[in-house]
Amino acid sequence: MSGTSTPKSAGQSLPPPPAAPVTLRINGQDHHLELAPWTSLLDALREYAGLTGTKKGCDHGQCGACTVLVDGKRINSCLTLAVLQEGADITTIEGLGQEGNLHPLQQAFIDHDAFQCGYCTPGQICSAQGLINEGKAHTEDEIRELMSGNICRCGAYVGILNAVKEVVDKKSIALRS
Amino acid sequence: MHNLDAAGHVRGESQYLDDIPVQRGTLHAAVYGSPLAHGKLLSLNLEAARRAPGVVRILTAQDIPGENQIGGIVPDEELLAGSHVHFQGMPVALVLAETEPQARAAVKLITADIEPLPIITDPREAQAKGELIVPPRTFRLGDPAAAWAECAHIIEGTAENGGQEHLYIETQGAYAYPTDGGGVRVHSSTQGPTAVQRHTARVLGTGMHKVEIDVTRLGGGFGGKEDQATTWGALAALGAFVTKKPVKLVLGRHDDLRMTGKRHPYTSDFKLGLSADLKLLAYEVTFYQNAGAAADLSPAVLERTLFHACNTYFIPNVRATAYSCRTHLPPNTAFRGFGGPQGMFVIESAIAKAADELGVLAWEIQRRNLLQDGQVFPYGQRVEDCNAELSWQAADQKFELKKWQAEVDAFNQQSPVRKRGLAVMPICFGISFTKTAMNQARALVHIYTDGSVGVSTGAVEMGQGVNTKMIQVAARTLGISPKRVRLETTNTTRVANTSPSAASATADLNGKAVEMACRELRTRLLRHAAEDLKMNYEGLEIQDEQVLAAGKPAETNWEKLVSTAYWKRVNLSENAHYATPDLWFDQTQEKGHPFAYHVYGTALVQATVDAMRGTYDVDAVRLVHDFGQSFTPGIDRGQIEGGLVQGLGWMTMEELIYNQDGRLLSNALSTYKVPDLYSVPKVLDVEFLETPGHPNAILRAKAVGEPPLMYGLGAYFAIRNAVRAFRPDVRPEFSAPFTPEKVLLNLYAARESAAAPAASQASGAEASVRN
Repeated sequence: MSGTSTPKSAGQSLPPPPAAPVTLRINGQDHHLELAPWTSLLDALREYAGLTGTKKGCDHGQCGACTVLVDGKRINSCLTLAVLQEGADITTIEGLGQEGNLHPLQQAFIDHDAFQCGYCTPGQICSAQGLINEGKAHTEDEIRELMSGNICRCGAYVGILNAVKEVVDKKSIALRS
Repeated sequence: MHNLDAAGHVRGESQYLDDIPVQRGTLHAAVYGSPLAHGKLLSLNLEAARRAPGVVRILTAQDIPGENQIGGIVPDEELLAGSHVHFQGMPVALVLAETEPQARAAVKLITADIEPLPIITDPREAQAKGELIVPPRTFRLGDPAAAWAECAHIIEGTAENGGQEHLYIETQGAYAYPTDGGGVRVHSSTQGPTAVQRHTARVLGTGMHKVEIDVTRLGGGFGGKEDQATTWGALAALGAFVTKKPVKLVLGRHDDLRMTGKRHPYTSDFKLGLSADLKLLAYEVTFYQNAGAAADLSPAVLERTLFHACNTYFIPNVRATAYSCRTHLPPNTAFRGFGGPQGMFVIESAIAKAADELGVLAWEIQRRNLLQDGQVFPYGQRVEDCNAELSWQAADQKFELKKWQAEVDAFNQQSPVRKRGLAVMPICFGISFTKTAMNQARALVHIYTDGSVGVSTGAVEMGQGVNTKMIQVAARTLGISPKRVRLETTNTTRVANTSPSAASATADLNGKAVEMACRELRTRLLRHAAEDLKMNYEGLEIQDEQVLAAGKPAETNWEKLVSTAYWKRVNLSENAHYATPDLWFDQTQEKGHPFAYHVYGTALVQATVDAMRGTYDVDAVRLVHDFGQSFTPGIDRGQIEGGLVQGLGWMTMEELIYNQDGRLLSNALSTYKVPDLYSVPKVLDVEFLETPGHPNAILRAKAVGEPPLMYGLGAYFAIRNAVRAFRPDVRPEFSAPFTPEKVLLNLYAARESAAAPAASQASGAEASVRN
């Protein structure tokens, strides 16, 4: 007896639909790209716009490494098609703060040693900015719950929690005054 | 001082393998893995894939110009399956296409005709059939057979632990280019550049000098890229070598999960003898390691299980035997702790079982048997500079163990449904590669004429902060600012014959080499200063970039010193070699002095179980850890927190499941849960135990990578104690991870069968519920 694995459509794959022009507004700048329609926003950012700060961890929306902001809302960029985000305002880690003028979250991540290998860090920071924009998280428990979609396998969670909490607290003080 | 890579990390500028700009003409690779776990490969049908859009070439075992072999310790692992397949996902063919989606699409068009052969997934079955990777090993101390007669209590049982997926967030990958003169350069996400180089050369049928491996940094490794990065490096190199084009291979998460090996599952039998006053007198243990389909690092992992079989306890009579069992799972491999945690889980289980049967608290047994100076480990090394009692006492005092226990008991008295458990987890971990020859390292240091410094070592940065440590060592030794020092990529042409970044020893070995090279350069520069400025060499030093003579500023600073030295033709480069002193091990006797030193610590762990649902929280972990003299406390604290979290994950939620066909069922983050921000203990205290450190440790800062993982074992026993607070009649089997499902099965185990100790794992409890 032989065990054989059979592909679903051996030799019959259809020619792919052609790539088409897509304009993405990323970090305040328009990028004119030629993309196949099924290109994820993550691949568009990394492979076509040359912005490799956003990381691919699982490509299934399960690790959070690819988190970016779309119109201020955090999103797993591997789970959305680039063409769906035409006209939206996309912010990646490269668009948060500048050299010598870091975003408060970036500074807080440094101050609290909120990473080890750094691979999940861009996603953590974008996710934290999204969390702040949502305005829902105030306590440590709320931050734990609402940041739990961003996996850090190095386990730098104590630092991540402290960093995010610090910026959330400053934000709420600023809002009250 | 913070991690010097911080700025790049938070701005998304740190470059990982997949971020390297792609060269024009690069081909993208995808791997066709075996659909069956064991069988005879009769034929491969590649025609449809060859015709698929963008496909340039498909490589199989026949295309390998050299030897189709990547086995490190034992030559038993083919790069691409030749006549047989040995595990599901075993690489069989490499598709090279113009784009990555094209390569992956073409893989799906490949079919294989495989004649199925019997599949073994259980290590005990493999052992019974004589399927061993290497002959079994036994460590002995005293005479346990004779000691049983003296024991007041003898406890026997079984303990099982599951595997653990590394889940580095950056998947495996490599990017290879053909180079001038018929060689190949490989950017590899590996902890072991030399392993990739050696096996790539073997596969290509060329010398190691024609294969250059370069590593920038890793997005996590944890052992999973120690030996198992070799496959992907060698495959990319094979593609580049054959096609003369750059070839990039990055595994998708699914492929990474199903094609790579994990932490070894073990199943073990123990027999523990105690005196009437709870002294451990004799211990016999047999470990069955599930090695998977090839040796990989399994024999070395097995050895470390034996080294740590008694954890931090002195037992005068020991016989520990270990079998490395060949099954048809992906070859299991290194994972932080490297067999040590598996060994420790068994002795801790034995102690917990003794506590159950004798009606005492486990920590009453633990604390009576801690190692002391002058005793001997079962492998013959004398116990020296022992901090077992010191760390226990410090933890006891700081965290008030008895008071805490009383609080837990009081809570359980008044809480009918939520129950708490407290466990103490002391550890002792040996530092060094257990293969003595690997305890060597080299560093190449260049001082450039502007006073900046480039340092190359064999250390790979993977989040453990070794780059920051190496820069610190260089800057301190030279007396200059860390800003002047750059840590270069890890490259086999600059530092050759490296040991992998593993065994917690990377900072010690490479740091010592950096220190030696920088000392030599400092001496050379100061001799030049003495001559140039007509000063007495004795009493010259460099501090904060200023040359001091007898403590007072001399007429020169670092930049001037370097510049004038160049013009006087002083050699401003140095290559240093370090080998850890006094290490030896005689495998024929299983005795020696394998470790440079040991790291100790004690953790107190509290868990709360919801007895309605079986869910639990690990509420608090408070620990005292022996850091020696830490010079990067931020980084070292991070290692403790991260190691602990991985250990907690392994003991609680991370459940790796293969079916009997050898297929991985927990094949995504949706089915394999790892700790998230929510699962970290709300109370996590890390206290630094001030100890003198050890001269073999870099700047007397003890190694910190692996030891903290084993604090996580405390969570298992804390949960178990909480379960027993709800059901004192139940004695949960020792089967990690203690998932909420297993907790629930124990909480509601049938009354009559619950008290009977069962030999098998969770299935026993499951059966008793169904009855």
